[in-house]
Amino acid sequence: MLADDSDEALIGRYARGDAAAFELLYRRHEMRVWRYLQRNLRNAATADELMQEVWFAVARDAARYLPSARFTTWLFTIAHNRMVDSIRASRRHSNFESLGHDSDEVIRHLTADPSAGPVAAAVARDEAAALIRAVEELPREQREAFLLQVEGDLDVEEIARITGSSFETTKSRLRYARTKLRELLKEYA
Amino acid sequence: MTEDIDEIYRRASALDSSRPSETLRRKVLDHAAALTAAPPRPAAPRARWRPAVFGTLAAAALAGLLIMPRVFNPHPPSESAQTLPQTPPPEAAAKSRAIAPADEPAADASRTGASGPKAAAQPGAAPQLGAAAATESARAASRPADRSATLRSAAETGDVRQLRALLGAQVRIDAPDARGRTALMLAALRGQAESVDLLLAQGADPNAADANGTTPLQAALAADQPAIVAALRRAGAR
Repeated sequence: MLADDSDEALIGRYARGDAAAFELLYRRHEMRVWRYLQRNLRNAATADELMQEVWFAVARDAARYLPSARFTTWLFTIAHNRMVDSIRASRRHSNFESLGHDSDEVIRHLTADPSAGPVAAAVARDEAAALIRAVEELPREQREAFLLQVEGDLDVEEIARITGSSFETTKSRLRYARTKLRELLKEYA
Repeated sequence: MTEDIDEIYRRASALDSSRPSETLRRKVLDHAAALTAAPPRPAAPRARWRPAVFGTLAAAALAGLLIMPRVFNPHPPSESAQTLPQTPPPEAAAKSRAIAPADEPAADASRTGASGPKAAAQPGAAPQLGAAAATESARAASRPADRSATLRSAAETGDVRQLRALLGAQVRIDAPDARGRTALMLAALRGQAESVDLLLAQGADPNAADANGTTPLQAALAADQPAIVAALRRAGAR
């Protein structure tokens, strides 16, 4: 059954012409890729643009995908590369930091959640909003390593390969990122 | 301590209702669907039209051979009916067709997943050639190259019955396709554990890598198939 297929099986099916397999793959990873892009770039419009580029590239290169790497590693490598290209391009015109800051927008979305009870929901929303803001305030390398791990579900070695850093550097970035997030949350509390 | 931050992050993400637009999703999915509709896929771009050209030429030559004697036949129909058969016997037709690159349809079938007889049915073939085509199709399955392609196809789709039948006949168990993938590799890629067990039991090479150097074990690991990984390791896969 298609829904039970692994990512690698689905991309293989798509490469042989099964469009439904691609749709399933897209829906499976849509939010993770989008959050990775949006929280790194802090700009929803740019994230949307890159999201399209990433998935167009996946569709175009599906036949060239080799199952020697996990599909998610391949997917987030594409996303990382597109993001780096975009940052380089934006730096030619302006400072990357001026791309935009959508934290307030994110918080507005967070506070719009209707499912939780009023008090618990408010606490959860505040905590969640604080964490999202804290992630966005991390230094770029730490933020990216952290997002690749939590959104891409990648291990240190995979993140090191994608970002072109050493294993130890990547490990340190992840450790610093979590320490900083913990401190920021403490401040919030 | 790592888990606490990750857990809070995940909760935060679950509460975050922001998402990419529906327009974007539609655009991506339409684009992906359009690519599947486009005739040439990036892999093996030249290999696709060649069989078609050879096949068309062979069909035209065969049609010419069949039609010409009728056009120029000086005898009245009744006499010719007594002295010459109206159509060549199936075996003669099959022999004429043998000048075509016979293994091409089967090779194409293995790429598309179609079965041998279905792939052998050519739309537009003259009705009287039906018997000859059927004979030819049956013979195609008995050729070594076609048997290898059918073996790979059976392994990939988990058709264990056909796999057993083919392994009982003379077939090169490790015959690769155009991308260097053996039946075992395809079975591992598609998570066909039963095919993998059967192929390994029949002596398939557990370390036969494809054209890119990917081994069946790597393929099974990437496809997250622990049972196949274990079976391959037991068979000495590296």
